[in-house]
Formats: sequence, structure tokens, C-alpha cells
Amino acid sequence: MTATVTTPPQRTPAQRLLRLARRNKLSTVGLILFGLIALAAIAAPLLSSHDPLAQNILHRLEDRSADYLLGTDVYGRDTWARILFGLRVSLLIGLISTALAMIIGSALGILAGYRGGWVDSLIMRIMDMLLAFPTLITGLFIVAVLGANFWNIVLAITVTILPKFARVARAPTIALKEREFVEAARALGYSDVRIMAVHIAPNVLGEVIVLASLWAAYAIRIEAYLSFIGLGIAPPTPTLGTMIREGFEHILDSPFVSIYPGFAVLLVVLSLNLIGDGLRDAIDPKLRD
Amino acid sequence: MKFLNATALSVLLATSALTTDLHAQELTMAVSAQSAGQLDPHVSTRTEDKIVFGMVFNGLVRFAPGSMSGEDIEPDLAESWETSEDGLVWTFHLRQGVQFHGGYGEMTAADVVYSLTRAADPDRSGVSSDYTQFASVEALDDYTVQITLAEGIPSLLGVVANYHGGNIVSARAAEEMGENFHTNPIGTGPFAFDELAEGQFVRLVANPDYFRGAPEIDSITIRYISSASARDLAFQTGELDMIAGTREDRWVTNMTETGEAVVDVFEPGELRTLHINAAMPPFDDIRVRQAVAHAVNREELVAFMGASVARANEAPVPDGYLGHNADVTFLAYDPERARELLAEAGYPDGITVPVAITERASLFAPMQVLQAQLAAAGINVELEVMEHSAWHAAIRDDVSSMVLYGAARFPVADTYLTQFYHSDSIVNTPTAVTNFSHCDVADDQIVQARSEADMDMQMALWADAQQAIVDEVCSIPLFELLQVFARSPDVDLGYELEGSLSLGPVITEQSTLAD
Repeated sequence: MTATVTTPPQRTPAQRLLRLARRNKLSTVGLILFGLIALAAIAAPLLSSHDPLAQNILHRLEDRSADYLLGTDVYGRDTWARILFGLRVSLLIGLISTALAMIIGSALGILAGYRGGWVDSLIMRIMDMLLAFPTLITGLFIVAVLGANFWNIVLAITVTILPKFARVARAPTIALKEREFVEAARALGYSDVRIMAVHIAPNVLGEVIVLASLWAAYAIRIEAYLSFIGLGIAPPTPTLGTMIREGFEHILDSPFVSIYPGFAVLLVVLSLNLIGDGLRDAIDPKLRD
Repeated sequence: MKFLNATALSVLLATSALTTDLHAQELTMAVSAQSAGQLDPHVSTRTEDKIVFGMVFNGLVRFAPGSMSGEDIEPDLAESWETSEDGLVWTFHLRQGVQFHGGYGEMTAADVVYSLTRAADPDRSGVSSDYTQFASVEALDDYTVQITLAEGIPSLLGVVANYHGGNIVSARAAEEMGENFHTNPIGTGPFAFDELAEGQFVRLVANPDYFRGAPEIDSITIRYISSASARDLAFQTGELDMIAGTREDRWVTNMTETGEAVVDVFEPGELRTLHINAAMPPFDDIRVRQAVAHAVNREELVAFMGASVARANEAPVPDGYLGHNADVTFLAYDPERARELLAEAGYPDGITVPVAITERASLFAPMQVLQAQLAAAGINVELEVMEHSAWHAAIRDDVSSMVLYGAARFPVADTYLTQFYHSDSIVNTPTAVTNFSHCDVADDQIVQARSEADMDMQMALWADAQQAIVDEVCSIPLFELLQVFARSPDVDLGYELEGSLSLGPVITEQSTLAD
């Protein structure tokens, strides 16, 4: 710790984040890893010659070979192709639900913090209610009642992690609304909506994004959990969780059928966590050099 | 009292050399289910409950242990019986001195009358359709029961055997306990119900007063473990003496190769049939149903399940049932023709249909194979995966356009044809059983065959009915899946296991467990 204080150059929050993230080697690794995974998912049809849904019963549960890079599953489907296409679904579910939770959750949090009073109480008590359930239970409940399909799973995960965003967005808002620039904006006669969206939201963004990168990993894991216990997307659509579940029945004699998609989940979650850790270090003033 | 017994036992153990004789023989097995259904033989038809019924209850007659052939029916609670010329009046003479479990007294004609009446009552029984021809069941005296039929049925002995409705329950216990009877069943069998831990296990204990003699094995714990790999592991570590197997070639081979297991593959073959709901468009058009039939590849399905445990079947009635039509003419695998038929029916781009399916692997896995086969012919199946009992309820609500169903019934063509293809059995009607396809083309043959006295004529009618059902494509019979269990070589069943209507190796008073 040096005692010298330098005036940091003016940067947009996004630039600041990127710069700080770059300083952290591990999160760079995470970023590259995640980029590669996302690319692989996008380019899935190019990276695999097999149809992820095509069954080949005579070649079921085969180990790695030149033709089947990661072997085949119980229906003789190519595991490599299924992981690539499964990544698409799993990533989409994870990212969409995190994005939704981030947007809605922060909006609610800012609103609660800015307005205070009964609005605050109402929103935050609802969030507390949602938080009172263990995370997986809320998701389970929603999927079990509404049925398992893409959007219901997105909804389940969104609702599960939404309160965390509301909380994180609310606290700084309460501090920010007393600041001069907000008072200035109010004095200029700007509407509350404009103040919240233009003046407060950007200042909350940093923390929310850190949270999002960490919860995105969690969202992908929830998808895998739900699929694993049979509440995932209906077959034959591959998702990483469904693949682990299907392979699990044969874990004793053909463990690779579960292990490969399990490893894919591991990589995705690891990369997102590395990114998130890096971002948090970058943003947290206590850890800043 | 328990303490005293334990003390006495330990003293004996310490002082005597007869340790092997005194060692409690506790057998633990696991079946594939999440929990027991309802342990009332007249109510539950779930696979995992049948093996319990097989050990706790008796019928008037029984299939000899290890057999499910009508020729092997032998006296059970009835010592002898006679029948009138026209086959409508049956008189059974009961064994005397048979005691119910739990001090519920001697089994008499009143219990038999109560049980059969209960089994025939649609409000109290899930198998009442087997007893629609019962005009009366009367007790002539304490040990004589007379059954009068309104019309002849293919096998009266079959419906009074130790299979579902034929199981005799204690009238007093059933009345006293009412709803609770299914968590505390009282019968006369070699093993008595002891304890039920919901979602975990049911424990049976030896009935020392069993009329064929006290069982060698002291207690049986049946655990509910739905995960196949969890069962396999527990079996391999010696925690379980017997497990329901996975009905696949590779499982049978792997388990046999360990050298520490005896694998039993036995009858009945449960026929897996794809019922097509003709009341639900687009399947109201026979051409679409024919397209489905042409799209199905039985050979691949059998290869998927494994040749040692599965065999193809094209007739609506399973192989080995009296009346099975082995020469039925059917639509062969021909995906090209399937596409043509769809185009003719006005679906050149194929169809998409929602199908409800259980999460249980024995149906879920072949359904996914079917899904891929049908997709290749332009029939896209959207699966709605459900918990097993929710699925059972859903398909009986007539909500699924196709129903993949597996079942073993009493091995006479009539039961299968009546329950699955007679118009009275159509789901979501007051008389519903399991006619998922809304099939009604074979009613006449089914009814006529039921009371036809001439055997050849009866067989011809049954063959006719099956051909009519196949021609109408009410359903597509696919393959039969045999029963697979593994047991430790220490378990000696005491009989040759060729078939079991209890769908499992029933432990009898003669079964033993080596130390």
C-alpha cells in the first residue's frame, strides 16, 4: 500500500472493468476459456460430423474412437456432438435467465432503494420471501408446477436468483440518491425514471455485473441439477444435465457417458467463476491496489 | 419381551454349537420403484407390489411356484373343487385350520366370499373388470364356497388364483382397518406384513403357522431403490441378496461374468405396445396410423433392449398366452411407405404430436428409440416426461395421442383383449380400463370368445380379433420384455423359476439363505 494518491484518468465504467480484468491473469484465462466454449457452441454444426439426435443402436455405449470422438451414449448418439449442441441449450438457458434476473432484479432493487417507504418494504419483503426458500426448491417448484420446457426453466432460474440482484442494487441506490449529482438532477426537474435509469443505474452496474458473472455459473448448474433429476428439457434435445442423467444409469460399466458432459459443465462453471472473481477483485475498492 | 428373547438367544448362542440353526435368516432385496404403492392386492396393480402380494397372500388355487402356466394350477386355500356341467357353478372346499396373520383368526368361507365380492366391486377394487361375470359368491358352510357365473369365462381358476383379485384377505381386518388396510395387509401367506417405511422399504416376517410349514427364512426386507446403478452397487457390496435387474443384454452379461450372482431371466414377457389414440387428430385417419406402423423398426428395438431379454411380437396378445395369434399379418418396417401414407393423408411435411411418457427407464428408453424411428419417417414426437404415477393418471385421462404401455396379465387372450381393445374399456369412460386407442373393432369376437365352449372356435375368434385390431392399427405391438432378477448364489429359491405372475422371484416357505 502506498500513501500516494493519484487521480485516475476518466474512463467509462465498462472500460474500467475491462482494464482491471486484464490485470488479473486468472480471469483472463477464464475469459479466453469461456470465449472458446461459447465459440464451440455457436459453431457446433461445423465441429461435428454427427447429428446429435441420430441414434445408432448397434454402436451404443462405445468408447472413444476416430469416428466418435468422445464415444456414444446409450442410444448410440455421438457424445461429442451432443455436448456441443447441449452447450448451446445450457448456455442459452444460463445466460438468458441471468440476464433477465439481472435486469429485472436491479430494476426492482433500484426502485426500492430510490423510492423507499412502502414501495421498498413491499418489494424487499417479496424478495425476502423468495430468499427464504433454499435456492433449488423455488426452481423445482416452478418447473414441477408449470412443466419442464425451455422458457419455464428460464423462468424458474430467473426467479431463483432475481432477489440477489435486487438486494445488491438496492443498497448503493440508497447511498447514491443522497448524492449531489442526483439532487442536482432532481433540481433540474428530471423525472424519477430518468434519474434511476440514467444517473443511478450506471453507478450500480459494476457490482451487478460481477454478481451476474458469478450467478451465470450458478444458473448453468441449476439447469444441470434440474435436468439431472428429470425436470429438464424434454428429450431428445441434449443439455449437459440431461446427458449426465442418461449416462448415470450406466455409470458402472460406461462411466464416460456421464463424465464428459460433466467435465463440460465443470469447464463452463470454472471459466465463469474465474471471470467473476477477477471482476470482483477489480471492482472491490478494498482489494484495489 | 424382545429383550428377553434376545437375551435367551444370546445365552443359547454362547452355550450351543448350533449357531447356524439359530442365526436369523434375513433376506434383503431391492425392486425398482420409489416407494410401495398400496399393499392391497385388490387395489394396486403396480409391478413392485405384486411380489409382496405373492408372499403375503394366498388364493383358492395357485400357480405352482416358478410357473405361470394354466396347467400348473394347484390347490392352495381350497383343497378340492368341482364344477357343474355347463361350467357356470363352481364349488370349492376349503382347507381347514388356516390362520390369518396377526391373530385375525381362522380363514373361513366368509373371508373368501368377502374377498371375492370386494375384488368384484369397482368402488373398492382396481381389478373388478375380471369379475363382471360373477353372479354370486356364497358360503354353503364354513368351509365350502360356491361361485355362480352369469356367463362362461375363459378361466375361472385364473381369477381365483393367487393373482390380484384372487388373493384372499381377512374380512375382519379389511373391515376394521378400512382405508388403512393397504398399509397393513393381513393374509395367510408364508410371510406376514411387519413394517412399511414409506419410500424406503417394506418388511415381512415369517409366518410360523403357515399351513405348508414354517418358512426357513425369518424375514424379508424389500427395499425401494429406483436407480439401477444404486441397486447394482448395493448388491455387489453384499448389502442386498437379490435385486431387480436391468433388462438389457449387457447388464445380464456383466452380472453373470462377476461370478457372484445368479441371473434369472423368466416369464412373463411384458408386451410393450404403442397404443395410438384414434380419437385424437391426426390419428383419426387410418393412413396416419398405418404410417406409424410402417415407421416402427422392431428389430432395432429388440437390439436396443438385448436379445437375451427381449423378443419381437406383432400380435396384440403376448406370446405364450392362450389364444396368442402367431400368424397375424402386419405392416412391415418401411419408412418410405410411411412418408407416402402421410402425404396421402394430407401431411406431406410430416406431423408433430405430443406424447406423455413416464420417467421410468423401462418405457422411457424404448420411447426415445421410437421417437428417433418415427422422426425418420416425418412423425415428430414431442415428449412430455412425467413422474410414473402422474403419467398413469394422465394416460387414463385420455390426454396423450400415443401411449407406450407395458403389461403382463393373466395369460389368457381374453384379459388382454378385453382390457386393451374392448370398447367398454376405453379410457375416460365409466367402465374404463386401459383401452387407450379407442379401439372398438373386435368387440363381437372378444365377447363371443369369452363364453365359447368349443376350444377351436374360441381360438379362431381370438385370432380374428387380433387380426382386426392389427388391420385397424389400434396399436402397434412391439416387443416383449422378460423379467430379470439377480440373486446371490446363497439364495436358493427352492423351486425352478420359469415364470412368475408376481413379476419377481417369490420367496416361499422352502426358500433358503446360506450363510
